[in-house]
Amino acid sequence: MMLVDELGPSMRRVARMYVSSDAVADEVVQEAWLGVVKGLDGFEGRASLRTWIFRILVNTAKTRGQREARSVPFAALAGTDLDEPTFEPGAFGAPGEPNAGGWSTLPFDWRGMPEERAEGTETLHVIGGAIAMLPPMQAEVIRLRDVLGWSSDEVCNALDLSETNQRVLLHRARTKVRGALEEHFRSVSET
Amino acid sequence: MSVEASITCQEVVELLSAYLDGELDPSTLGRVEAHLAGCHGCTMVLEEFLETIRLSGALTVEQLNENQRRTLLEAFRDWRAGT
Repeated sequence: MMLVDELGPSMRRVARMYVSSDAVADEVVQEAWLGVVKGLDGFEGRASLRTWIFRILVNTAKTRGQREARSVPFAALAGTDLDEPTFEPGAFGAPGEPNAGGWSTLPFDWRGMPEERAEGTETLHVIGGAIAMLPPMQAEVIRLRDVLGWSSDEVCNALDLSETNQRVLLHRARTKVRGALEEHFRSVSET
Repeated sequence: MSVEASITCQEVVELLSAYLDGELDPSTLGRVEAHLAGCHGCTMVLEEFLETIRLSGALTVEQLNENQRRTLLEAFRDWRAGT
């Protein structure tokens, strides 16, 4: 059951991106697992097992979404801000100024936070909260990459993303989580 | 001798994930490294990125709740029983 436990929550969320309700997402996850069990003989080990399981899941979810006549635009999953700069442009010199593109306001430096504070439950809550606020595909990419430690290849394959999209989604997600940590450490340093 | 075009802080911060994943082409990599060597602000953001990644890895991995787990196990059992 370990694999079911490890992959279960991500599988439910990924399924939910493509179908209309939590209940349907649960059915998709079940159907995908049955597909995994039945297809195990055909698993050739070219991809990692978890990647292969996710491919079955994503295909099952997309098929089910189509049957529900539900079409989900990529932007609804990935976020509509992908073409915008991840860092606040105001932090840098404006074009034409002598320091164009250079830092004009440095972010708060939280590197020196005492370890017990940096690694406390509160910090983890801030990270969890920031991830929960992300568009679904950004959230899933950072969870798989940075929380669960999957490789970029695995995530591209599992979620059916191009390398470029995976990188853009990951960078955007990390920037927002870093920003949430900056805000958090800034506010605790002022108290 | 050609001098490679320099790269701004605003450009560097957009490349940090690609940099950390080793996905930059050699010429861009050279420019990013040269920039980081001389830029306090971008080095700070890079180190904070690394710390963000490290702390994210300390999040508790969620597990299925009992209900979800039971439903799934029942589906497996039904399937094995051929219903």
